Amino acid sequence: MESGDRTWEVFIQKKPGLAFKHAGSCHGYDKKMAIQNARDLYTRRGEGRALWVVPTEAIVSVPLDDAEAFFDPGEDKAYRHATFYKIPDGVSHL
Amino acid sequence: MKLELQHDESKFLIRLADTSVILGQRLAEMCSRGPFLEEDMALSNISLDLFGRAEELYKLICKIEGADYTPDDLVYRRNEREYYNIKLVEQPNEDFAWVIARQFFHDLYAETLFGQLTTSSNAELAGLAVKVLKEIKYSHMHAADWMDRLGLGTEESNHRLQYAVDHLRKYIVEIFDFDDLDRRFIADTASLETTWRNAVSAKLQACNIEEKEIVTPSIRDFRDGYHSEHMGNLLSIMQYLPRAYPDAKW
Repeated sequence: MESGDRTWEVFIQKKPGLAFKHAGSCHGYDKKMAIQNARDLYTRRGEGRALWVVPTEAIVSVPLDDAEAFFDPGEDKAYRHATFYKIPDGVSHL
Repeated sequence: MKLELQHDESKFLIRLADTSVILGQRLAEMCSRGPFLEEDMALSNISLDLFGRAEELYKLICKIEGADYTPDDLVYRRNEREYYNIKLVEQPNEDFAWVIARQFFHDLYAETLFGQLTTSSNAELAGLAVKVLKEIKYSHMHAADWMDRLGLGTEESNHRLQYAVDHLRKYIVEIFDFDDLDRRFIADTASLETTWRNAVSAKLQACNIEEKEIVTPSIRDFRDGYHSEHMGNLLSIMQYLPRAYPDAKW
């Protein structure tokens, strides 16, 4: 597309109560066009019941160079995983 | 095939089915030709909705007629004069403004029409109407949005939309020139027309498009199988494969 065009990140919620998941991105000049485009690209096969679009530039990401400092310290700390607990029956989305 | 429908209800339904399939074909022609990827997908989606709608209507017709032919036969083996779609939907994709104006005009009409059919005494038709109404509402929203964007966009986009609207409005009069069959199966033909005209006037005004005085060309009624010059060309492409290879399976 031409000038004025922006990209948007698309998030879909499969069912009420579940977290929105990133599905991909789409183009759009404004919010209205973005949400319609997201609908046409990502929800054609019953993927969800709710939809978010967020301007791509609103997403803040970790600079590649800093990835080691951000993530490596978590790798060898198994005690941070919640695997030492019993999950009560009936909790399905933990 | 020589189509001879015996029942009034199927004679009425085939107008809706043909209108859906021909508009679906026009939109299918836009596949890979949309102005950008997302719009390409949107038009293809709407096209598929229209084909689906048409197929269900043809199935109803086959059932009512107790016919030994199928929806495929109805679509691929009828000639131009045996088609009963409104001429609006066979008008070509001259440019994107034509696609949008044609869709907007059609969707407004279809929304009121299928809205009325939700109370049809034919339970299957009523059920189908409820289902397709959701599709039509989205398509209508999509087309109405583009009417604003084109009409209020640039001088060029406004000019192109004006040109498309001026041309397509010539094919509106026949839609509301109802016959006995329409009056029998459409609950309120008068409101179908007034709803359409009011909504179109409001939209054209809102998106800065002039509602010019239209000299309606002297054309014969789609209800008798008459078409504009574009129909034969459309059918020759749509029907090419099954006519050239009658045994082809897909």
